[in-house]
Amino acid sequence: MKSKAAGLPLSYRLAVTSRSLAALLGGYVLASMTSVCIALLAPMAQVDAALTGLLSSFVFYLLAFIWCFACRSAWRAWLGVLLPSLLLGMINGLAYWMKNP
Amino acid sequence: MLSIALIGFAGFAGLCLSMEKHFNELLKRKPSGAQVRALRIGGWLLLALSLVLAVQLRDWALGLVEWIAVLMAGVTLWVFGLPYQPRLLLGLAAASVLLGPLLAVIGV
Amino acid sequence: MKEGFRQAMAWLHTWTGLIFGWLLFAIFLTGTLSYFKEEISHWAQPEIRSHQLDPVTSLGLAQQYLQSNAGNASSWFIRLPNEREAALSVNWRDPNAQGRRGFTSKALDAHSGEPVEARDSRGGEFFYRFHFQLEMPYPWGRWLSTLCAFIMLLGLVTGIITHKKIFKEFFTFRPGKGQRSWLDGHNAIGVLVLPFHLMISYSSLVLFMYMVMPAGILASYGDTGGYFNDLFGRDDPPAMTGVAAPMAPLPELYAKVQTLAPGARMGYIQIQNPGDSSARVTFTQAAGDHVAYRRSANWTFDGVSGELLRQGAPESAAMMTAFSFAGLHMGNFAGPWLRWLYFAFGIAGTAVIGTGLVMWLGKRQLKHAKSASLPGELRLVEVLNIASMSGLLLGVAAFFWANRLLPVGLQGRADWEVKAFFLAWAVSLVHAVLRPGRKAWGEQLALGALAFALLPLLNALTTGQGLDQSIAAGDWAMAGFDLTALGTGLFLGWVANKMLRAPKPVAKRAPRTAKASAEVVEVNGC
Repeated sequence: MKSKAAGLPLSYRLAVTSRSLAALLGGYVLASMTSVCIALLAPMAQVDAALTGLLSSFVFYLLAFIWCFACRSAWRAWLGVLLPSLLLGMINGLAYWMKNP
Repeated sequence: MLSIALIGFAGFAGLCLSMEKHFNELLKRKPSGAQVRALRIGGWLLLALSLVLAVQLRDWALGLVEWIAVLMAGVTLWVFGLPYQPRLLLGLAAASVLLGPLLAVIGV
Repeated sequence: MKEGFRQAMAWLHTWTGLIFGWLLFAIFLTGTLSYFKEEISHWAQPEIRSHQLDPVTSLGLAQQYLQSNAGNASSWFIRLPNEREAALSVNWRDPNAQGRRGFTSKALDAHSGEPVEARDSRGGEFFYRFHFQLEMPYPWGRWLSTLCAFIMLLGLVTGIITHKKIFKEFFTFRPGKGQRSWLDGHNAIGVLVLPFHLMISYSSLVLFMYMVMPAGILASYGDTGGYFNDLFGRDDPPAMTGVAAPMAPLPELYAKVQTLAPGARMGYIQIQNPGDSSARVTFTQAAGDHVAYRRSANWTFDGVSGELLRQGAPESAAMMTAFSFAGLHMGNFAGPWLRWLYFAFGIAGTAVIGTGLVMWLGKRQLKHAKSASLPGELRLVEVLNIASMSGLLLGVAAFFWANRLLPVGLQGRADWEVKAFFLAWAVSLVHAVLRPGRKAWGEQLALGALAFALLPLLNALTTGQGLDQSIAAGDWAMAGFDLTALGTGLFLGWVANKMLRAPKPVAKRAPRTAKASAEVVEVNGC
């Protein structure tokens, strides 16, 4: 970061906190949504689909985390994790409802 | 596995020397284009050979694991030893090119 | 972040590395020790003697003991001794007994079948459990350690992204150049051992994924029970009939397993409803026989007739993937030389973290080289660096010293060994607060050097199984521990010496360090 002296502006600190929360919490939600999606929709045995969902979830968590700090603003960080989560959530909801009518 | 470790070690040594900066530092002269290419190809070939031998000796699962393990060990020894004992390591690498395949043939 | 992707990742790498580095160092160090947890336990309980392995005899002795002492139990467990674990372990589940959840454990001498009264100690198991439970109540320790594992993975990935010259500087290590050397070293042990670091971090996540990422399981199965049933293919114990029936001799069943899987080593044997006509015996192959965990490697027999009832179901590709990661992490399949490599790579991972922490502070200390003392935040980092690294080492040493010095008959001595670990660690924190940085390092490392180097002598004086005895008897686990302790002591002594000598004059290095820090700034971007 370019800021030097001890007094970092509050806006900066808030932005970092926001990105961190987006990464930690939002990223977790996104990772969970992807694992649910795979578990419900992957064309394999139930246990294998669940396993594959679990194994790949961490990759998505990683990508989400990186996104949250690579993107241009804290707002974009949140959008970048929440929008896909929402989309996946809807797909998951549909898939779940179709499996358990 | 020792033969595979030595061949892999020699392979990495070759790849290291194929970089002009290191060739210069270690052998005190500038490498020719042909030498660079030969070292690079030779290095990769030796690494590939060590992989083939490892899988042949120990089958895919164990072979891959042990291959990666001995390669990591060898290249770490090379990189951290080089500033202190360059001639010893160069000698070891050269000896490995011969000793490695020899040990592989007799099954070590 | 306006500076660009690489700079942002450098920032992320540096800050997550700092905040989680202290804990990660402890996890990595204790995890590394865990690769020799059996050997550590062997050293910690010298009363249990190693014998020539004889699974058939051991099985017979175990069955005899259990029949005489646990006849009313609902289930028995037998762990056979192997090259690395000397004891024949028997456990049984009995609602009237003490111990965790009605479980009783006994270690038997593999030759005589008699229970061994070994000093109460958690041995290597303490470090093993610490590295994923952090001695915290269930499940908080596991959550925290798994979060740390994720951050480690993040650190590796952001480190790779940040390291612009990862190929150009693949073989580069330039000692004697201050901060530049630290960075070279950090990069080198990171990159050269990268397959191991990536494997160990990702596989840690795999090991607890069912706990930390349950959404997929819950959405698909509703609860974890069905998932685990599908995954491990186990069914519940049969209902007791109440009709007594003599059990088939276990060595006979063992022989049957050997015809089905010649040369297979047995990990453990479970007997459900012993003595009842519904008795079942399940043999599970030793984890060390395969790289991946194999759910298919178990055989269930009728406990009375000896008829083979079931073998574990074969693994799917997804299962092999997950089980391979688990197996790679545990390293049970590793023979002696590969186990030492695991240990070395674990130390490398620990060093990646340690060098990172040192550099984080070192780079910022340069800016305050002229002033008398560090600003508060940096002083905090310095204290935590010292306590989490040399302090932790002192804790480890204290555990072993307590093991040898605490009276064998002391009530709860296993817990006291653990307390000694934490006490020493805490005292080192206080010491780090009270002493100036470099001196604190030097003094703690010097004490650590002594503590480790003197362990073999302490061992010899207190147990009579010192190096001369253990080497003569071919007990390489015992000797190996002593020799490793000695080696650690010598290494720490060398480092302590460097720290206690006067630091190099700053003025002479000013142009170099300015260039080094400029390079570092360019790479780290902050």
